[in-house]
Amino acid sequence: MDASTTLTASFALSLADAAKWAFTTRRVDHAAVHGLSVAFDTARTGDLVLGRVERIGSHKNIQLVCGRPSALYPGDAVVLACGARYAADQFEGVAEIDPDGADMLAGGGVLGRLREKNGRMAAPTRIIPLGLLTGADGRALNLDRFALPRALRPRGLPVIGLIGAGMNSGKTDAAASLAHGLMRAGLRVAAIKGTGTGAFGDVNAYADAGAHVTLDFTDAGMASTYREPLPRVVAGLDTLLAEAAARDCDVAVVEIADGVLQRETAALLADPTARSAFDGFLYACPDALSAVGGVAALAPHGVRPQALTGLISRAPLALTEAEAATGLRVISREALRDPAAAMAVLRAATAPLAAAA
Amino acid sequence: MTLIRPEGRPAESAAAEPCAIAWRAPTGREGLGCWIVQPKTPRPGATPLLAIHGINRGADGLAGAFAAQAAAEGRTVIAPLFAEENWRGYQRLVAPRRADLALMALLEDLRLSGVIGAGRVDLFGYSGGAQCAHRFAMLHPQQVRRLSACAAGWWTFPDAAAFPYGHGGAADGWGARMAAALPEFLRLDIAVSVGGDDDRPDPAMRSAPAIDAQQGRSRLERARRWTGALIAAAATRGLPAPKVSFTVLPGAGHDFTACARAGLVGLTLGRFA
Repeated sequence: MDASTTLTASFALSLADAAKWAFTTRRVDHAAVHGLSVAFDTARTGDLVLGRVERIGSHKNIQLVCGRPSALYPGDAVVLACGARYAADQFEGVAEIDPDGADMLAGGGVLGRLREKNGRMAAPTRIIPLGLLTGADGRALNLDRFALPRALRPRGLPVIGLIGAGMNSGKTDAAASLAHGLMRAGLRVAAIKGTGTGAFGDVNAYADAGAHVTLDFTDAGMASTYREPLPRVVAGLDTLLAEAAARDCDVAVVEIADGVLQRETAALLADPTARSAFDGFLYACPDALSAVGGVAALAPHGVRPQALTGLISRAPLALTEAEAATGLRVISREALRDPAAAMAVLRAATAPLAAAA
Repeated sequence: MTLIRPEGRPAESAAAEPCAIAWRAPTGREGLGCWIVQPKTPRPGATPLLAIHGINRGADGLAGAFAAQAAAEGRTVIAPLFAEENWRGYQRLVAPRRADLALMALLEDLRLSGVIGAGRVDLFGYSGGAQCAHRFAMLHPQQVRRLSACAAGWWTFPDAAAFPYGHGGAADGWGARMAAALPEFLRLDIAVSVGGDDDRPDPAMRSAPAIDAQQGRSRLERARRWTGALIAAAATRGLPAPKVSFTVLPGAGHDFTACARAGLVGLTLGRFA
């Protein structure tokens, strides 16, 4: 090891120690950091990137590991995970690190290269990458090294899926409300974000609702599930469900990100193995037409939601139209928080299991 | 033991027994106060008994009646008070107010304060309390291990009659929710009882041609028919025969003390030990 490498490693360790570590890195053992690599062309999704904030853009805060947002300032040292993002209301980007400047694709701590953005969005916050954090073996540290051990899907754990028409259709609110209702009914509840982009908003919402165990795909080693192979996404979901079962949960509520037409979500719902993880689904949507469209899009996969929920439940006229057009009833978040209603959702989903027991 | 009335004044004393009885004041307007019987020597893992009074609101009487035997078994007894000014109609469970949520909140408070452990409770109700108790168990069977319901004036049957008489009505209504929970409910141990002399129509009972035709005209007949309806419901659905018993308490009319003397305490606690 020559002097310059020693200096770089020493600098990296000091800077990393002082940096703002993003939510996506929450499972990382900082003691595993031994150095820095500038081989950005080798970066893959999940690799830990140390960088400095060059310019504040759309994301003015970074979500910290401790669960609070931290205002960003130019010059801040940050540690994020290299990753892709799919967010129709925000950014679409890929897991590539440009040495001249990378894009903060998500406040939860995803760094990559912007490809598309919603017209309402400002440019992403720009990060100058200083290097990939490396371990004692000199290889880039990746989230998957710190993930829960892979595990097979547990048997006998009821799972209710929350799917939706798209981003901001009310899925998280519905998932948290259902978790709350089931908790009040006396069950030990796991609330899981099965797919999406790493961010603490969802797991915080689940925790606030009283879920006993909260998990997301970052616990399975993924900064984002966008552009991840389906088998890896399904294996991650199975691992999270196994963790819920191992922690004695009676039921799991699993939110699937984005809309049913989004690539990974559509693939997951189309895949019989993935679909078989779920006993039932609630479908969140903002209006009647998205209710009709979603139900139609799900039908070829043999999925018929138990009920509609989400933003539509706040719009009485749209609710009436949707119920008439789909034959499905709409359940509000207030109803889902009621233990009797939440248990009715669970029982409707697991009725075939109960009959067979 | 010593009974402390809600206002904090000792009401009666009895020979020293291995338990303490205390009044726990309600928390907030929505909360329920309750009598708590705690054994001096709790048995680890023993299931607590939640005992619900009738419309005479004799919660202290229930606590006292179960105290000695429950304490001997190392079990805690909780006897909530549905105060009349706030809880008229509590026996209907979900209307006009949510008695079920109040009971669940009370149990959660008691768990958090260490009075009872996690897990299910055994549930008892007498008269109006039996109405409340059986409806609670039908709606929330996951909260209940065993149900003992004595001398309900009328019941919610597992049939198509509109709720609260049956499980019919709106697709997302209370009846439908109870219908969804019925397989779980029918897996509980259920003890139905009634005084042997409680066999005539009572002006205090709800009576009309439809309910009389569905349930009968006396508490004894209604309890018998409800027991039979549970067994039939299980058979119709291809479920295992429910563990439901029907007991006529000899020499007792519609009187909790007489029913207790005729074996109700043993029926409720003894078979659940």
